Amino acid sequence: MHKAAQRRIIIPFLIPALALLGVFFLYPLVKTVDLSLNEFSRTGTMRFVGLDQYRLLAGDPDFFNSLKNTFLITLIGSGMLFPPAMAIAWALSQRIHGERFFRFVVFAPVVLSVAVVSLMWKFLYHPTLGLINPALKSMGLGALAKTWLGDPATALAAVTFVSVWHGIGIWIVLLCAGFERLPTDVLQAARIDGAGEWRVFRSIMLPMMRDLLRMLAILWVVQSLQSFAFVYILTGGGPFGSTDTVGTLMYRIAFDRADFGYAAAIGVVLVAVMLAAAKILDKVMKRDDLQY
Amino acid sequence: MTSSTDLAAQPAPAGPVDAPSPPVPAPPRRGASPRPRAPFRPHHLFFYLLLGVVALSSVSAYAWVFNVSMKTNAEFISSPPWQVADGWRWENYANAWDRANIGLFFGNSVVVSVASTAIGVVLAVFAAYPLARITFRFSGLVLGAFLLGLMIPWMVTFAPLYLIMQDLGLLDSRIGLVLVYATYNLPFNVFVLVGFMKTLPYELEEAAAMDGAGPTRTFLSVILPLMGPGLASVAIISFLQNWNEFFYALLLIHTPEKMPLPLGLFQLGQAADYGTNWATLFAGMMITVTPVLLGFALLQKHITKGLTAGALKG
Repeated sequence: MHKAAQRRIIIPFLIPALALLGVFFLYPLVKTVDLSLNEFSRTGTMRFVGLDQYRLLAGDPDFFNSLKNTFLITLIGSGMLFPPAMAIAWALSQRIHGERFFRFVVFAPVVLSVAVVSLMWKFLYHPTLGLINPALKSMGLGALAKTWLGDPATALAAVTFVSVWHGIGIWIVLLCAGFERLPTDVLQAARIDGAGEWRVFRSIMLPMMRDLLRMLAILWVVQSLQSFAFVYILTGGGPFGSTDTVGTLMYRIAFDRADFGYAAAIGVVLVAVMLAAAKILDKVMKRDDLQY
Repeated sequence: MTSSTDLAAQPAPAGPVDAPSPPVPAPPRRGASPRPRAPFRPHHLFFYLLLGVVALSSVSAYAWVFNVSMKTNAEFISSPPWQVADGWRWENYANAWDRANIGLFFGNSVVVSVASTAIGVVLAVFAAYPLARITFRFSGLVLGAFLLGLMIPWMVTFAPLYLIMQDLGLLDSRIGLVLVYATYNLPFNVFVLVGFMKTLPYELEEAAAMDGAGPTRTFLSVILPLMGPGLASVAIISFLQNWNEFFYALLLIHTPEKMPLPLGLFQLGQAADYGTNWATLFAGMMITVTPVLLGFALLQKHITKGLTAGALKG
């Protein structure tokens, strides 16, 4: 029987991929938990300390500051991301002129490296050499000019903006798919009944896309809780820790303080926070299914 | 507010210019007839305004980088940021390529991305076959192990990964980076390819078995040739990710001669903070960005579809 013959290829086909996954992902994953129970000395020797690292973490102001900033990025970012993404997706689903050009421009930043995008924006934000402040001044809005990344009041929002600018294309494409899946007969019926376009959007499109929006919100939370590269390149966590995220703190602790155990403990807590946040968000945004 | 009227006017002429594009055989749009343009309605004005602002900001950022890459360092500091460069200073590009090592970084990136993409795709397609087409006891568990990689943030494991790489002697080596990237691609690749293979009819294997082909041969000469589109989109996405990856490069590579482009540019950017070599840095940015944008222009459909699939399960 060919079924029996097929069974012989299972292991050889799976082994290479599983070996890589095991060595470079699954084993490190398990090892993270193990490391988090150990204390590292500067010389690199480890000592088992049980849950001590977690106890330390619970009283670490740096950790809570980074956690607060990470949540702020998630929150501010969702405000910067979803309204424009929704509006642009709505616009693109209208078959307007130049749709292909707009799709290209809106999505293009997604394919660029985070490193290049961050570097570019670091210069765009530059108070004197950049583009933003001089542009504001020339429009007579010089009062709005700021040292965007150097001021603790604006740095976090500025960093968040860059990460939204980079990634918004994906969300727009996903939302476009949502718009295209809306039942046209329902929309047409509403229009015939005299509903304006804004009314159709608010009372029909939005409620019907609720499930998609919930999923995208969860995705956003999971993604932004891991913020690292943008922050690392744009500000390095500064000024005065105002943009320090859990990711950058973890990296700094591992490499500036050579404290791999503590970094691993932060990682474990981060995963727990992420799963909890996703779960809560899912609960909160879940409503009874819409009947139509 | 003066500018917003400019912006509103912007897309109107742009529209007709690129919208029809008949000479280029438009990428296969599903359905034979191209979708008709909607007749203009008042609320479209809002859409044009919105898209115009977005388009203008992106295009001007890109144009600005290009403009600076054509300036001298002295010009960059002394002239207003939007003043057009004095001349075409392509030597900035030559300098970036040679003296600032961009050429070296570029080569590293090509080698690392191609190798890791190839390994990631080949191993994934082999692993996906039994997971998709053969029922065996632990298949759910094995698939779960791969999918775990889509759910758990990889960054979390960096501390032990660093120590493991140190033990294996793969720290600061391009081979180590290739292996990590390939692994990093596996969950997504396996997920997509399993889904793709499940759509193929099961009679394929039965027919091949009737004709006396062994399972390996069936896979290689019946299933694999049918996987073209799936493999293409998985390969493009992997390549893009590997080309752009920053975190693991930062973690694992320390010698400038071994750095891929994003890390090398970051390094140059750090140096530019203290030195004065901006023009070279901007030329380097252009060198990094332009091939990706060109590739994206050619493969837009594939890339958006693939990345969308990636985000949906990320």
